[in-house]
Amino acid sequence: MVAHQDWAALRAAETARMLAACTRCGACFEACPMVAYAPDARGTDAVAAVTGVLDVLTGGGGDAAARNWIGVCTRSGACNEACPEAVNPMLMLRLAKWRGSETGALPKRDAAETMSRVKVFARLSFTEQEQSEWL
Amino acid sequence: MAVNTFWYGCNMTRHGEIIRLSQCILEAVGVEAAPVGGPGACCGSPKESTPRIAEGMADRTMEKFSASGTPRVITWCPSCHANLDDFMGQTQEQSFDSQHLCEAIHERRARLAPLLTQRVAARVFVDRHVGFQGRVPVNAIIPELLGMIPGVSVMEHPYRAPSYMCFGLAGVPGALADVQRTTLAAMRETGADTLVTIFHSCHREMIGLERDHGIRVVNWVHLLAEGMGIPYQDEYKTWRNAEDPLAAIGAARVAAAGAAAVARLVEPELSRPLLV
Repeated sequence: MVAHQDWAALRAAETARMLAACTRCGACFEACPMVAYAPDARGTDAVAAVTGVLDVLTGGGGDAAARNWIGVCTRSGACNEACPEAVNPMLMLRLAKWRGSETGALPKRDAAETMSRVKVFARLSFTEQEQSEWL
Repeated sequence: MAVNTFWYGCNMTRHGEIIRLSQCILEAVGVEAAPVGGPGACCGSPKESTPRIAEGMADRTMEKFSASGTPRVITWCPSCHANLDDFMGQTQEQSFDSQHLCEAIHERRARLAPLLTQRVAARVFVDRHVGFQGRVPVNAIIPELLGMIPGVSVMEHPYRAPSYMCFGLAGVPGALADVQRTTLAAMRETGADTLVTIFHSCHREMIGLERDHGIRVVNWVHLLAEGMGIPYQDEYKTWRNAEDPLAAIGAARVAAAGAAAVARLVEPELSRPLLV
């Protein structure tokens, strides 16, 4: 028995849980070591930044600060340690990035050539037998 | 009987020797594991801008693992490991258990210890990150394993890079260069002469530091192999630090891999400018 039927159901359940649990206190934003690299988010109000992320998570456009913060997330997990409600803000930002990619609020990561590159490196780095057995 | 799976991920195809060494070390401590990875065993992470596609790739990987009858999947990549926990195992029946490579080796460290017969004179600084540590205590396990190698001194420092691995940092302007500068400063502070990477994307980003900073950069699996006397060549590092990467690879191998594809997809990565 799996917890969720598919990723869409999982995302919907997690989104609902996060919206219910998050008090918009801003502790996650304040703890984030990457805000320093987000010029649109640096110095912004933490509560507003979190509210913007939740907007993107639920299909809205968010504001520039929220979009920039989502964009620089490196999954440090500092937000999770700071969150008093165990919301899992690291996953919240990740799911917001996914949603923003779908709605157009955020640019899609260009991964068009990723797997082609993986295959070429395999041809360089693996023997023929390894390519046959490992890929 | 089906053997365990060593799920090396996708971008590890750059580092064939790490896959071979991992398999060899596992076997030496009593774990038979068949390497599996590449596009046919993807966790979906590279395509997560389009979650529907990512999900399809991840589902196929779960089906592949289940069909193989593997009792255990031993992970390498923190992205794969996290996706297995957070998405794949939440939405597909999981007929196997899982653990990270360093956990698989660490729990058999009593068998590893007598195999570490070669002295490796190195004062090592481990490139520790945050983010993945909450799932697997890599920042404790890997230094402990390295400390078992005769001649290795693990230099302690509180610095932790602000990401789960270097991959995320590379896409944020200024962030990776800051991490590299801070890492080099921490190494100087501790007197370390060797930077030990934990993850493949960190290895990819850090090996260029060998060129100008008087340090050696190796992966933790490389160092364990040296302690066991297992020979290897870090070809990706050789290519990355060569004046002419394509010449370093060699014309015959470039031709065999497809010269046009190598020129378009490999050469720009190997010749990109260093950050610090």
